[in-house]
Amino acid sequence: MSEPLLDVRGLTTSFETGQGKLTAVDDISFSIGEGEVFGVVGESGSGKSVTALSVMRLLDDAGTVEADEIRFNGTDLLSLSEREMRNVRGGEISMIFQDPMTSLNPVMTIGEQIAEVVRHHGDVGERTGFWSEMRRKYVTGTSKESRSWQRAVELLETVGIPEPEKRATEFPHQLSGGMRQRVVIAQALAGDPSLIIADEPTTALDVSIEAQILNEILELSDEFGISVLLITHDLGVVRETCDRVAVMYASEFMETGHVDDIFEDPHHPYTEGLLASIPRIDDDREWLSVIEGTVPDLIDKPAGCPFRDRCDYAFELCDRPLVEYEIEGSALETHTVRCHRENEHVEVDDSGHIDAVPEEAVAALERRIEAESPGDAGGSVTSTTDVNARADGGRPTSPATGSENGGDQDEY
Amino acid sequence: MLFVVTVVFFAVRAVPGDPARLMLGGDADPAALTALRQELGLNQPLYVQYFQWLRRLLTGNFGESIRTGEPVLGSLAQVAGPTISIAALGMVIALMIAVPTGILSSVKRYEIEDYVSTTIAFFGISMPAFWIGIVLILVIGVNVDSIPTFGYTPIDEGVSPWFRSIILPAFAVGFPYGGILMRMMRSSMLEVLNEDYMRTARAKGLSSNLVLFKHGLQNALIPVVTLAGIFLAVVLGGVVAVEIVFGIRGIGRLLIGSINRRDFPLIQGTVLIISFVFVLANIVVDLLYTMINPRIKYGGGE
Repeated sequence: MSEPLLDVRGLTTSFETGQGKLTAVDDISFSIGEGEVFGVVGESGSGKSVTALSVMRLLDDAGTVEADEIRFNGTDLLSLSEREMRNVRGGEISMIFQDPMTSLNPVMTIGEQIAEVVRHHGDVGERTGFWSEMRRKYVTGTSKESRSWQRAVELLETVGIPEPEKRATEFPHQLSGGMRQRVVIAQALAGDPSLIIADEPTTALDVSIEAQILNEILELSDEFGISVLLITHDLGVVRETCDRVAVMYASEFMETGHVDDIFEDPHHPYTEGLLASIPRIDDDREWLSVIEGTVPDLIDKPAGCPFRDRCDYAFELCDRPLVEYEIEGSALETHTVRCHRENEHVEVDDSGHIDAVPEEAVAALERRIEAESPGDAGGSVTSTTDVNARADGGRPTSPATGSENGGDQDEY
Repeated sequence: MLFVVTVVFFAVRAVPGDPARLMLGGDADPAALTALRQELGLNQPLYVQYFQWLRRLLTGNFGESIRTGEPVLGSLAQVAGPTISIAALGMVIALMIAVPTGILSSVKRYEIEDYVSTTIAFFGISMPAFWIGIVLILVIGVNVDSIPTFGYTPIDEGVSPWFRSIILPAFAVGFPYGGILMRMMRSSMLEVLNEDYMRTARAKGLSSNLVLFKHGLQNALIPVVTLAGIFLAVVLGGVVAVEIVFGIRGIGRLLIGSINRRDFPLIQGTVLIISFVFVLANIVVDLLYTMINPRIKYGGGE
């Protein structure tokens, strides 16, 4: 695995609002390898969905997407024309949205909703021009003999829908929530993509269905060698499913690394707080721990760590711009944290607090900020390209994660 | 329908004025007046008249005009042609204006196209049909020789003369209706544009036109069709007034004339037929509704 499938560098998405500029995604970088499941976890409003929509270039005119690059399979998505981008959407990268109740078109049969993806991105030799599609929709209907329809029926069977021929002719309201999300998965697979972005795919579903749907996504992506960008607010889901994970807070990635590293050895106070707030079955705490305070306003966001007002360990460097620190000794994957407590010159005492900031720390930080300042992307690349390097000397991802996931899934 | 029948019957009689006196003139002989009232059955108590009328209605007998003695249904059939032509063409014009401009202004929201079309729609809603009719006569009818400003040519005298004779009144009727529908189309399309399934469609890599017309249009039409049926009254009301302006002998003129003459059976019959058409049109709309909205199915299913 030389080149990652998706490589996002310095992605920043902002919206002009009446009150000022809202930064929904602030200078994030990540990469997803082939066959890898990458999780983005964070609370509501932290910018997870906007990240996904920015990569797909699906934000409307209100949003401005800037990035050093969004490289997918060697091409920079930001340099593509809208027409070329349409071939990527659904064909190379497909999406599974949160709410299957609303993400399927209520007046179209589920068969046609899948078949149109097949027609547009598959090699079935059916016309997809505007008038051909309009005639199919309003005059003739989709032929049950057409290859796209038959492929749609096959896909319904693949995602475990009983009586797929009959179901294909039905409308979304005739299906249960879990079934509909299976239809959405079939739709996402229809274009034979190499990456699926799943934006909170189980949030709107019953807990009992959640595990089934997650398994379905993971098994199928494993089977077809599809990478997954899984967006969720559920740490449990991340732990069960992801290879690597990024913790997102207030539009920034706070900590990125292998799932085991993040869960066993969290370095960012926010990650620690999140993990501490998960209830455990052997808990005898009377109250669950919470992270005090609220998410900062993202409009005209000040520089510095966005978490500092809620952080128990905040110290004087926290209002300086954040830089990425690599954690030494991680056995699995590069583990990076954006917290100045990791500065090599800062001494953290046993309780995690910091008494004094030596001058070397400030100087070192200033050099880093200087190196990363806009116009000179070199600094950030040096510290982040290693994300893909293997600290353990190249343990292959896919088979290992495959078996790991297999094991995890059995626990469901 | 029974409700309509009842309301019409009593409302007509609540209006001051005596058909017998109107027929014979102000200084008529009291004995002649009494005799005429006797003949027309107007001297009986109201409830007796009401039930007599109802009984005859049930056998399909709408009665005869007081004034001419002709059967009500017969006189209605004579004048129905122009009214139906104008109303139908008016609706076609309204839809042809409303649907494309509604879509355009929702897609180009807050841009020049939106402002132009909403302003035109606003004019359409604000101006009564008869006034639009007068303006059309003054502007087009007077200047364009091939389009008559007056009267109606039946369709069996040729499609083109027929069409030219109703195009202006139809436009006058259709414009306000189109204005209402356009605004509905716009707001309903704006709502649809924000739906998750539209984002899904874009995420599938469909072109923006396909997303709009394949995924959006049918959903946006659902509320428009419902309201199109309700606001059909605008068209029917417009036709009545526009017929006067264009001097066309249609149902509208017949109705106004019969009200002026207190021709009770004719008023009742005409209003009844109009309301029947209205109900029928709404049934058609409901059927159309089930066609474009698969979530609604009448009559059970599995």
